[in-house]
Amino acid sequence: MSNQYVERGLSAPVNVTWEVTYRCNLSCIHCLSDSGENRNGELTTEQCRKVIDAMSANKVFQFSIGGGEPFVREDFLDLMDYAHEKGILTCISTNGTMIDDEIAARLNHKLVYIQVSLEGATSESNDTIRGQGSFRKALKGLEYLKKRDIEVSINTVLTKLSFPELDALAALAASLGAKFRVSRFRPSGRGKKSWAHLNVSKNQMLAFSDWLSEHMGVSTGDSFFSVTHEDRKALGLNMCGACKLTCCVSPTGEVYPCAFLQEKEFMAGKLPEMAFAPIWANSSVFESFRELEIRSCESCTRFELCHGGCPAIAYHTLKKLGLPDPGCLANCVTAKSVASGIT
Amino acid sequence: MSSGTVYRLADGVQVRREKFGLLFYDYRGPKLYFLPSRDLIEDKFFDGTLTAPQLVESVCAEHDWPRQEVSSKVSQILELLKTKGLIHEQSVC
Repeated sequence: MSNQYVERGLSAPVNVTWEVTYRCNLSCIHCLSDSGENRNGELTTEQCRKVIDAMSANKVFQFSIGGGEPFVREDFLDLMDYAHEKGILTCISTNGTMIDDEIAARLNHKLVYIQVSLEGATSESNDTIRGQGSFRKALKGLEYLKKRDIEVSINTVLTKLSFPELDALAALAASLGAKFRVSRFRPSGRGKKSWAHLNVSKNQMLAFSDWLSEHMGVSTGDSFFSVTHEDRKALGLNMCGACKLTCCVSPTGEVYPCAFLQEKEFMAGKLPEMAFAPIWANSSVFESFRELEIRSCESCTRFELCHGGCPAIAYHTLKKLGLPDPGCLANCVTAKSVASGIT
Repeated sequence: MSSGTVYRLADGVQVRREKFGLLFYDYRGPKLYFLPSRDLIEDKFFDGTLTAPQLVESVCAEHDWPRQEVSSKVSQILELLKTKGLIHEQSVC
């Protein structure tokens, strides 16, 4: 992707991650937004329509819809219809357990992509993270989607538990006619508590980097640019896109740089009561994010491949922005060399 | 570049104006395409109201740029966008 244009920041996001609810029928131990129970202040249907209107007026091309479980919202499909009327593509991230034939029929639209989350290729491994019975229900949902030829990806968060099952998960996705996507685990939401025992080791991250090079068809949603080899450079962005081509809207309408930085200090504004364009263009949070430079990484041989990596991981683990991503490939190689006595 | 032809976005393609020129979004992928065309072409050109020669006229009138150069650049850009499947021609006759 043309970083020279992205680095300067675009006139509006290309993609907005919109977490439409905190409610969820599951209680995954690594949930990025600590979702589950109902919380006060979630946007009403009318307010959601205003958010869609604002994004349409700013020529945002795409929503990445998440939560919570989006299908818990009774008005969810109507809201998606409204976004599609405005020409906005919706990439819906779901646990798949609520998808039945009726919902699958309504999702059969050219502007819909579905991502179903699985953390293992068997009930045993998946349900350890996502809860009892979730694997069976998600597979049922996937079958309804397959029956209607709806384009779907299986998404797995890379953890110590899912790492050994990547090949089996890729095979499961293929058997369902789905694409396979792996995304990075971040210590936000309930991920803060489970980070220490679920985050992959540096050796696993190195092995995963090689695995990705052997599986060029596996997508990553640009979440592994700091650990991928040069051969995947052309597949996506090689820098953090927050505040440059993407941002996040929370279930209560707060606007953040990304889904993993939904902290008070990063709140740039609130929808729909504030206009979106000035939040994007002029908020001090977004401006400072665009100017963020990971200076200590500039001498690294991999700097052009990752530009310092994921600021959210640096923030959550090191309590500061502007520091190198501790899970980047260069850090992993250094750690491995030290561990094996190589200088 | 015919006076009887307008250009429209292909199905599933959207475009918007950016400082560097035009940003195309193709939902088949989805894919982005950055066109560093600066002020040469407005995004609304692809709604099919102007032909390419009319676009050249209006750009030359607005910016006082050499007609031949503008015409050649517009021609190259339209060919490129057609090759990439982002736009298609439509006859106005």
